[in-house]
Amino acid sequence: MQETVISIQSAEKTFPNGVQGLAPITLDIHPKERIGLIGPSGCGKSTLLKLIANLHQPSSGYLTWWNKGFAEVGKENRRLSFVFQEPTLMPWSTVRKNVRLPLDLEGISPDVSAPRVQQALEIVSLAHAADRFPAQLSGGMKMRVSIARALVTRPNLLLMDEPFGALDELTRNRLDEDIATLCAKDDLTLLFVTHSLYEAAFLSTRVMVMAAHPGRIFAEYEIDPSIPRNEEFRLSDTFATICQDLSKLLIQASQSSLLAEVA
Amino acid sequence: MPARLISIFAPLAVGILFLLLWQGICYFWHIPPYLMPAPSDIARSLFSNIDTLGHALYSTLTVTLAALCVSVVLGVLVAFVLVQHPLIERSLMPYVVLMQVTPVVALAPLIIILVKTTLLALVICATLIAIFPIISNTLQGLKSVDPGLEAFFRMHKASRLKTLLRLQIPSALPMFMAGLQISSGLALVGAVVAEFVAGTGGNSAGLAYEILQAGFQMDIPRMFAALFMITLTGLALYMATSSIRKLVLHNRVEH
Ligand SMILES: Nc1ncnc2c1ncn2[C@@H]1O[C@H](COP(=O)(O)OP(=O)(O)O)[C@@H](O)[C@H]1O
Ligand SMILES: [Mg+2]
Repeated sequence: MQETVISIQSAEKTFPNGVQGLAPITLDIHPKERIGLIGPSGCGKSTLLKLIANLHQPSSGYLTWWNKGFAEVGKENRRLSFVFQEPTLMPWSTVRKNVRLPLDLEGISPDVSAPRVQQALEIVSLAHAADRFPAQLSGGMKMRVSIARALVTRPNLLLMDEPFGALDELTRNRLDEDIATLCAKDDLTLLFVTHSLYEAAFLSTRVMVMAAHPGRIFAEYEIDPSIPRNEEFRLSDTFATICQDLSKLLIQASQSSLLAEVA
Repeated sequence: MPARLISIFAPLAVGILFLLLWQGICYFWHIPPYLMPAPSDIARSLFSNIDTLGHALYSTLTVTLAALCVSVVLGVLVAFVLVQHPLIERSLMPYVVLMQVTPVVALAPLIIILVKTTLLALVICATLIAIFPIISNTLQGLKSVDPGLEAFFRMHKASRLKTLLRLQIPSALPMFMAGLQISSGLALVGAVVAEFVAGTGGNSAGLAYEILQAGFQMDIPRMFAALFMITLTGLALYMATSSIRKLVLHNRVEH
């Protein structure tokens, strides 16, 4: 049996108020995959991510993490990080201490964690701002701190919920390239939600197009993982074709969501 | 002129103008000091009675600060107990409110009769008045934790103690500081009220007791002098807590 990072077995989520956020979903995520989730708002993208982060429990069905239960998550080679839609930093701590937080929670001593924090800050080009407080940073910088905090544990699975939604396009493209480089270098599996199909096309090896009422996977779209993701790719015809295909799928998914809502 | 200096000198100028006007009115209309003492009469009384007034101030300040300390310790403790479970909060919160809505003035005579040590009785009265903002603000603060950060701590399997120390307490700090500032003013109010009640029994020594005594003797300038010292104490407490607040929270504001 091939190892899966995440295996979702007919997991379904109905909220206490009766809203079905997610219809039963079955999905396997393999090592080094980079999965982009796109779809109209309210189609359960965040819900799916929270199920995987164990922040929600499935109403039925189950999930496994590296073929084990969630109790094993966080151990060596089974690290999971989540980048929220908002930076969610601690306003009372410096950038350095914010990034160090997951290591502190693991009980790693500051001497050991210091170089790792420094390295994570360098990845997001924020080493110069280590001693500043979140209130002194721009929105883009805060988001980069949040990413550094996710990377400092050297995660094997990185979950991101519309992480760059509030950033300008140039910053976003640059961060996307950094993430792509990181994924290529490390043993990193990526699952991210985005409302930009360009971002999905640029980063993903597999795009999940979701539809709403109830939340479900509407279509899957594979992108050759061997294509290097760089500026050249962004300007290529292949990229344009992928974006067109995704655009069509997204329109179909919205129509399907609307029809389901009326019905 | 920089805004900082303006905010110091403008109110100061208004105050001086007001005192001059007051002095002028008393002087030109020959208003007798037992009706309305001029600022100069009050100042004279303040200096000639500085020993007794100083002692009274010391006594009032002791009660105020003791009540503030007890309020902080007890109030924070109560807030921590209340926040442990919604059921605990629902069962106990009505009693906290009940304590708050009962006017302590009405309760003070009872406390002063029941508690033999006057100082202790005064501190209890002042604490009853001062503790509520600490409890309610700390409680609100503990509940105001960013849900995203809470999820982050949960995801990283943080223990209850670590979540308390690293997340809940720092999150509650701004609200607690606001509570502390309100509470410091209320502690002084409580101390003065309690001294009035105790003073009518003749066994107190605070500034309120001085006001009572001066009233019995129709020494109106001394009444004003004691009042002036109470106001000054309130102002000092306000400025002290405000500085502490700014010092503790200065990193969180954008600048
Ligand atoms: N905690 C919740 N309680 C009730 N309904 C929720 C909750 N969270 C999400 N939902 C509902 O579930 C559906 C999917 O939400 P979500 O996963 O946030 O969508 P997306 O992230 O794709 O925009 C929406 O209809 C939303 O209103
Ligand atoms: Mg969402």
